[in-house]
Order: sequence, then structure tokens, then C-alpha cells
Amino acid sequence: MLSIQQLRIQQQQRLLIENLSLQVAAGEIVTLMGASGVGKSTLLNWLIGALSPAFTASGQCYLNQKQIDHLPTEQRQIGILFQDDLLFPHLSVGGNLAFALPAHVKGKARKQKLEAVLEQAGLSGFYPRDPSTLSGGQRARVSVLRALLAQPRALLLDEPFARLDAELRQQFRSFVFEEITKLNIPALLVTHDLADRPAQGRLLRL
Amino acid sequence: MRLTQLTRLNPHPPITWLLSAVAWLGLGLVLGLPLLGLLPVVSIGLNPIGWQMLWSDPQTLPALKLSLFSALSSTSLALVLACSLVFLFYPSKVWQRLQQQLPIFLALPHAAFAIGLVFLLAPSGWLVRLIAPLAAWTEPPLWTTTQDPYALSLSLALSLKETWFLFWVLTGLLNQQWLLKQTWVAQSLGYGLWQTGWQILFPQLLSRLAWPLLAVFAYGLSVVDMALILGPSTPPTLAVLAWQWFADPDPNQQLKAHSLALLLMLLLVLGAILAYALYQLLHFSLAHPQGKRQGIRRFGFLKFVLRYTLTLPFWLVLMLILLWSLAETWFFPHRLPAELSLQAWQQARFEPLYQSLLIGVGSVGLALPLSLIWLEWGSRQPAWLYLPLIIPALPFTAAQYQVALTLKLDGSLLAVIWSHLAWVLPYMLLMLTGAYRNLDERFMLTAKTLGYSHWQSCWSIKWRLLLRPILAACAVGFAVSVAQYLPTVFVGGGRIATVTTEAVSLSAGGHRPSLAVQALLQALLPLLGFALSLSLSQWYGRRHPGLN
Repeated sequence: MLSIQQLRIQQQQRLLIENLSLQVAAGEIVTLMGASGVGKSTLLNWLIGALSPAFTASGQCYLNQKQIDHLPTEQRQIGILFQDDLLFPHLSVGGNLAFALPAHVKGKARKQKLEAVLEQAGLSGFYPRDPSTLSGGQRARVSVLRALLAQPRALLLDEPFARLDAELRQQFRSFVFEEITKLNIPALLVTHDLADRPAQGRLLRL
Repeated sequence: MRLTQLTRLNPHPPITWLLSAVAWLGLGLVLGLPLLGLLPVVSIGLNPIGWQMLWSDPQTLPALKLSLFSALSSTSLALVLACSLVFLFYPSKVWQRLQQQLPIFLALPHAAFAIGLVFLLAPSGWLVRLIAPLAAWTEPPLWTTTQDPYALSLSLALSLKETWFLFWVLTGLLNQQWLLKQTWVAQSLGYGLWQTGWQILFPQLLSRLAWPLLAVFAYGLSVVDMALILGPSTPPTLAVLAWQWFADPDPNQQLKAHSLALLLMLLLVLGAILAYALYQLLHFSLAHPQGKRQGIRRFGFLKFVLRYTLTLPFWLVLMLILLWSLAETWFFPHRLPAELSLQAWQQARFEPLYQSLLIGVGSVGLALPLSLIWLEWGSRQPAWLYLPLIIPALPFTAAQYQVALTLKLDGSLLAVIWSHLAWVLPYMLLMLTGAYRNLDERFMLTAKTLGYSHWQSCWSIKWRLLLRPILAACAVGFAVSVAQYLPTVFVGGGRIATVTTEAVSLSAGGHRPSLAVQALLQALLPLLGFALSLSLSQWYGRRHPGLN
């Protein structure tokens, strides 16, 4: 469970978020909506520990009963997906995934595991490809796989569907939601489109 | 887009042709002529007799080792240090502090920095004085620190100075949001600052750092002023050797000098090939990540050491130069001068200052209109514009000298200004290109739809919108001109004394206060240029808050 308690974020004199408390259960996807500049992305940045020095924040965050708001990003075990896929351009598709795969999978098993993951996502044979040769939808899928391979305990989605066209969007959305359900982790989805909200999912307006 | 194409279809009015011709003529004079002048230098340098004499000279091989060591070590150390700064501090409060100090580190000329380092590191320098009472020294120890036979002090000085040059280039690259987000992604996958930096940012930044790195390497290979002050003398580095031979009227020495100049170019090419091979190797080694996350590492100590070893020397250098210029008597082992006086200042020569000012203002005054005209009416940016930044200064300056000699202009102020332009112009163009490209084209289009000509729209809209980058480019251009040593002595025929040539020639003598005066003047000129540019820029920004 991801739990935010009494969060307050301000930028100099401007108060962005006041007294926000939110609990997201395992397997649940909570949708966050609100006008631009209201602080949705800032909230996600705070959750992963990458708040710009221009902001000050107070409040607590717990992930599975463990307080994480004082930890550096790399120890929080929270994955994030942005609007852009942000695949590392100097690595192949396989290299990007291998970067996320934990070190305990060793030797030949690494490549086998990654090829299996790619195949399940309908991307078999893409291991050696350069990310720039992929279509937008394919890149988006690889970036989801990358985030999930690191076995995060929670996932944040910062408008990950915004760049995709309507048909692709539908497919990709259900792909992401299925993966989250499979892992049974809490997820927070920031979006501008009400249609992105999963059925019966909770909606929070900032 | 379509509107832009339509305006391009318009027949060019005569003024456009004229300005385009001016742009080409200016660039031809400044860069084309010396590049042509390189041809005779290269053809003389190819003479096998020259190469034979070069190889049989006992100084060549040790000098080659020194040059290769100092250039390679300073370039790689500067790269590692600049990247470490970025990885450990970006984006934080310390990062902003470093950015605020950056103009000072950049503007401080190499020669003044080297002189200050002598005051700091020499056996009679301030660091030794700091510990002298503990060791009960009453005389400077018999060590060799500066001008050491291994060129260590030269390499150290180059590394410190070039770190900030690369840092400056990196800050420009890091403005891109997606790079910052990539670091978040890598960290959310469980990698710390350090690993994220070297595995994700470094390979991507490296490909964009190729040219700046080559420029740093070329500078290290061909630096003369710093090597005269801090480098070894028997034998000196290759660049100093070449410079001495070029200055020698003996035709045999001249021949050797030409071959040596060619050798420097060859070394640059070899360095570039080596760097490319290493770059490929790096990519290969990173291609299959093993997923190892390093444990908790805070880097507190490393951050502290890195931050202060890279910034403190500059402040100490400035302080020591100032103190020495005011010292009446400052015997070893006193940490502070026993008496202060203005004597050195009263006896100082100020003609070099006026000459530097004149040459600096002259070159910026010519380079600015030329850059603006080139950016607007010249063609797209050809790569040869930036050749002077990566060709070792020695063959290039020799070529400039050939041209000046042919035109019977050597030793004139005009020729010196012209020779400085070869560096001032590319740096200013480099600074302006980014701002030019980022400016919204629709501003110009709007002005034109309101009935203004291209020229009028540039004058009353574009160049005013770009005033702040223009001011910054002027400050950089001025600093580049003030710091020039080789072209000033070469093309000036030794008759034109600037603060730089004066400081370098005084560094060989023993009178520290008068050396300190010239070094301080050399340091102050570009600093004042930056201060002036910054305050004008802030004043303009306050009047027009909409200009981000």
C-alpha cells in the first residue's frame, strides 16, 4: 500500500498542495486529474524523491508500512512512466531492459528472461534493435516493460498515454493496467483525459 | 513553415546580396586567409630534411613525451572532473553556487592563473608558507614543484582550468529536460547518482562533447604561455620548442619548427582517433548491463573534496596575485606581506593595458557585426568556421604570420586584431548560434507582415530580442582576445605588448610585485568585461521582464 500523509508543497510563497492525504491499495489504480500547473507532476516528483530545489515540501510517505520520504530515489522502489518513453538512446532495446533487470538473474538467463518478456509483449525479436527504429507504440511498451522489470513496489504514471493516437491508446492502456494488476502493486495515474481512468477506479481532483 | 518558404521564394533585393558578400568577405579574410597560409607552412613542414633534423635533435623525444602526457592527462582529468561535478551536484543548491562562480573561472586567463599557481605552489609559495612554521623552515625547501621536469604542475593547471570550460559546455547540454528525466528513470530503477551519471548520462554527453574535448586536447598540445610559466624548460614541451625554433632566424631551426608544427597536427589526429576508439570501447562495454546496483553511498566526503579542490585554487590565485601586487616586502616564511605599498602599481607599465583594451574592443567591434551578418545573411554553419578552435595554435599562428608578412602588415596593431579575430569570431559565433536558433521565427515574420524590411526587422526586433546573448558573446569574445599570447607575439612581431605578453615575459624575471601587477591587470580586464556585460544584461532584463 502507498500512503501519503499530510503533504504540503510550496514554491516560495505559492502554495501548491495543502494537506493532501491519500492511500492507494495494492493492485489499485488511482487517477489524478486537475488543470495544468496545479502540481500533479510536482507530486509525482516528490514521491520519487526528485523534487526540484525550487520547491519545499513537508509530509510523510509510506510504502508497505515503510517510511520512504527521506530516502534517495534509488532506494524507494517506485517506478515511473512519463509521457515520453525516455528509452536510453545509447542502449539497444535489450540493453534498456537489461539495465532494469536485477543483478540476481545472471549470465545466459538474463537474455532468455528478457526475450521471454519481449515475446509476451508482442515484441519478439526486438532485443538487438535500436530504440530509434521502433514505432511510438512499441517504444511505449518497452518503456513499461523496463519500469516493471525492476520489480517496483509502486508505479507512477505521468500522462503516459498522452502522446499516443486513439486506437493505440486503448490497446496500450489495457496492456499497462493488466501488467499492474499482475504485479499487484499500487499505482497513481496522472492524466488530462477522463477516458484514461480505469473502470471503477477512484478519481481524485487536485 | 509554409510562410517561411514563401518569404524565401521572394527575389533577393540587392542589399541582401551586398550583406551576404560582406559576410563571406569578412570570414574569408579572418579564417580563409590563414587557412590558405597553412599550405606553405605544411609544404615546408613536409621537407624530409626537416624531419631528419627533428628526429636527431635530443630534445624532441623527451619533449614529445611531455606534450603527450600533459595534453592527454589534462584532457582526460578535466573530462572526469567536469562530469563528476555534473553527476554529483546536478541539480542542487551547490550547482547554482558553482554556476554563479563559473564566469570568474572562465574569464581568468590561463597565464594569470598559471602565475597565481606559481605564487601558490612554488617552494617559496603560499602553501609551503602555510606549513613552514610547523616544519620550522626558515628557507624555502629545495623541492621542485612548479616547472617540474614531468610537467605535472602544467597538467594540473590545465586540468583545473579546462574542467570549468567543459563544465560550461555541459551546463548548456543539461538544459534539456529529457536528460533530467532520464536520470529520474534510472534512479527509480534503483541506480544511485554516481552509477546513473557514468552509465546513462556519460555515454550520451560524450558524443556531444567530442568537439569541445578535441579543442581542449589541441589547447593542451599547443599551449605556450602556460607552459613557459609552469612547464619544464630543459627540455620544454613541444609547443614551446616549436615556438623557440620559429623565433630563431637560423633557417635550419626554422625548418625544424615547421616539421614540428606538422607533428603537432599529426598528434591531434592521433589523439582524435584514440579517443574515438575509446568511445567505441565504452559503448561496447556498456551494451549489456548486468543490473548491479551499488549499495547506499552518500558521497558526502567526495562532494566536499571535489567542490573545494576545483574552486579554492581560483580564489587563492586571485588573492595571492592581489597581495603580491601590493607587497612591499614579503619574505619567506611570512604568510602575509610585512608591508603593503602601491610602489609596484606606481612603477607599472600601463601601455600593455591600453593595447589589450584597444585590441580586445577592436576585435569584438569587428567580430560582432560580422557574426550577426553571417548568421542572418551568410550560408549555413560550415564546420571550417571552427577550425581555429581545434587546430593546434602553432601551425595556425605561423600561417597567420606568413600572411601578415606577405601583406607587409606584421607588427601592426591592425594585424594583431586580425589575428585575434580567428579565435574571437568562432567563439562569438558559437555563443550566438544557439540563441539564434532558439528564437521564435514568427517574431520576424510578424514584423515583416507589418511592412518592415528584413534589415529593419533585424534591427528593431531580432537583435533587440537577442541583446542578452549578444552581450554575453561580447564578454566572451573580449576575454578570448585578452588571453591570446601566441598570435600577439607572432603576428605582432614582438613589437606589440599586451598584458598577456607582458605578464609572460615578466614571469621569467624575479620581481614578483611587478609580475603580479600585470597578472592582475590581465585577470581584471576580462572580469570587468563580464561584469559590464552581466550588469547591462540585468538592466535590460529588468526593463523587459518578458525576455526570460
